[in-house]
Amino acid sequence: MVKRQPSITTENFTAVQLMELDACSRCGECVNWCPTYDASGQNPGLAPRDKILRWAEFMKKSYGLRARLFGPKQIPLEELEQFKNDVYGCTTCGMCATVCESAINTVELWESMRANLVKSGIGPFGKQGMFLKLIGEYKNPYMADNKDRINWFPADIKVEEQAEVLYFGGCTAELRQRKLALATARVLNKLGIKFTMLGEDEICCGSALIRTGQYFINDTAKINAQKNVDNIKAKGAKIVLYACAGCYRASLIDWPRLTGKELPFKVVHVTEFLQDLIKKGEIKWEKSIDKKVTYHDPCHLGRHVGVFEPPRAVLEAIPGIQFIEMERIKENQRCCGAGGGVKAGIPDLALGVASTRVEDALATSADILSSACPFCKRNLSDGRDAIGAKELEVEDVIVLVAEAMGIDLSDTPAE
Amino acid sequence: MDYFSGISDALRVTFVQMMILSIIAIGIFIVGMYINFKKWSMGSTGYGQAPSKSIWAFPKMLMYQMSQHAHVHNQSVLETIVLDILFQRRILRRSKIRWFMHITIFIGWMTLFAMSGAMFFVEMTHMIGERIGFAETLPWFMSPEVFRELLAVPNDVFSYILLIGVVIAIYRRLFVAKARESTIAYDSILIIGLAVITISGFIADGIRTGRFWGFGIDYAYAPPAALFHVVISLLFCIAYIPFSKYIHILAIPFTLLANKGGE
Ligand code: HEM
Ligand code: SF4
Ligand code: SF4
Repeated sequence: MVKRQPSITTENFTAVQLMELDACSRCGECVNWCPTYDASGQNPGLAPRDKILRWAEFMKKSYGLRARLFGPKQIPLEELEQFKNDVYGCTTCGMCATVCESAINTVELWESMRANLVKSGIGPFGKQGMFLKLIGEYKNPYMADNKDRINWFPADIKVEEQAEVLYFGGCTAELRQRKLALATARVLNKLGIKFTMLGEDEICCGSALIRTGQYFINDTAKINAQKNVDNIKAKGAKIVLYACAGCYRASLIDWPRLTGKELPFKVVHVTEFLQDLIKKGEIKWEKSIDKKVTYHDPCHLGRHVGVFEPPRAVLEAIPGIQFIEMERIKENQRCCGAGGGVKAGIPDLALGVASTRVEDALATSADILSSACPFCKRNLSDGRDAIGAKELEVEDVIVLVAEAMGIDLSDTPAE
Repeated sequence: MDYFSGISDALRVTFVQMMILSIIAIGIFIVGMYINFKKWSMGSTGYGQAPSKSIWAFPKMLMYQMSQHAHVHNQSVLETIVLDILFQRRILRRSKIRWFMHITIFIGWMTLFAMSGAMFFVEMTHMIGERIGFAETLPWFMSPEVFRELLAVPNDVFSYILLIGVVIAIYRRLFVAKARESTIAYDSILIIGLAVITISGFIADGIRTGRFWGFGIDYAYAPPAALFHVVISLLFCIAYIPFSKYIHILAIPFTLLANKGGE
């Protein structure tokens, strides 16, 4: 007799991850903290605990004791489809991993589940399927001409051919949130720091592909990561600066993993770089920003890699700023809702999460809600507009720095 | 809670029964763990690599992850073992009451488990000693009667500690709305089983000693009560581990080690 085939494979899971599925003690902490579960009106399918249980049961049905003795039990395709919808309703914010009493690396699990479903033809979710084609074709997910990354820089900006410092702008800041890229470039110029950029040779960092489980297809993410690394090396860079949390995390954690090699340069977030200069007294402030400012930790900068203090130190150094904290910050921060492909795949969910975060900021009576990631800025602005909180300004830390250094950004071109 | 052997003349028979049961329980445990290891080892030994075919994939990946530098917390294995596995600070961080609940279950269960193992070892050594003739040369505490007396008080103490945790756990699952609503059979079987074991232990001991937990039950019922306790303890606390939520006793420490205490 021919045995039935199991309905799922173990592709893209590590052996430790499969073990982690059995480590959930069902304490429920992750459910209390998950931002998308909350914003979805507590849709039970989105609860992290539930996703672990369901995949553990899929494993049991396919490879457990009974499956070994009598053959695997089939899992209906609708059930797998439903699972896909749920596992993509996650911003990979990592809150569930932070609170998990069993220390399960949940974010990696969600990404492996996604990759597994992509491989079996069930994932990804909706529009996210376009990422691969777009990034393959345009080298960015916005369908923009890759030449337009920095060719719009006003004439005063000086970007070196070769330099020890390289600013990796990222698709979102160079092609959509241009004020941020302009601010970063002008701040570096004004500080007299010679820096270079990849320009049209820059390729999407891969975050969108990795987070949505599509990194392995045609090895696109790996090839692109290697190309970026090679191009950065060719520019003679020893320090690579990032003003985007998504690119920062992708470079720091995902590039070495994809390429299988240590990076030949240092990955530094621009706020870390500035904090250092502030300590040395090398920044001259020209303007005071007399406002109350609060700060939203981007998931991929804070919780994922532990950069909590530098952005705060920078904000507190700016004259005039009265810095106040929201209730949920640092390790316990509430996600802005944009990450993990949710903004592209399920915009309503992204907006729901963003609105809650904006309310956190409003509760502090801050004038400005700042962050250190163009993607957070975009979604938080959308959240603010959705709840009509016109009085709240959403701005990136680097833009505030530029302003306080007396830099004018009014000539920022549109997209 | 006491051990069955030595209670009555039926001792020899029951001792053989217990041996057989223990072997069956351990056998089921080993088969179950083998299946689990095989299932886990169907994963890869590195991110993005092809699934493995070897049963060693799991230990290999675990060792690999433990040797890697972690970006957020990069704590030592010792710190993980002491603070995260033994002291269970990740539960404490989330809830003091749940931590108290679990640490009492953990300490009670682990100690009773270890003491049962030690008692078993003493009995075995003594029995073999009598056969081969080295029983005389064993140190004084290696005599089953003496050893049992030594364990009597700690046995009581840790049984009560375990009972406290089990009562809190049951209370939580019954009366805390959020916990109750999310409880599935996977959760309740574990607690109910543990409760039955703990209470049957008290009762078996109570019948034998004629004290409170005996509820006035005739001494004649002492052997079957004790046997019942031993049987379900062995089956539930050993054989059932690989097939139930009990697997967390092994999987959570593995996870803590792999992720260096977690994020
Ligand atoms: C090495 C160690 C262990 C770790 C790290 C561990 C961890 C956990 C965690 C995190 C929970 C969830 C608690 C909650 O709901 O907040 C749990 C539940 C539980 N554990 Fe353990 N455990 C371990 C060993 C044990 C042992 C030896 C037992 C003995 C029987 C045990 C029995 C239980 C029970 C009965 C529950 C369910 C409580 C409930 O959900 O109502 N655990 N464990
Ligand atoms: S990573 Fe964030 S959004 Fe995703 S399941 Fe965990 S808590 Fe929820
Ligand atoms: S926090 Fe961790 S152990 Fe607790 S229910 Fe969630 S995944 Fe399971």
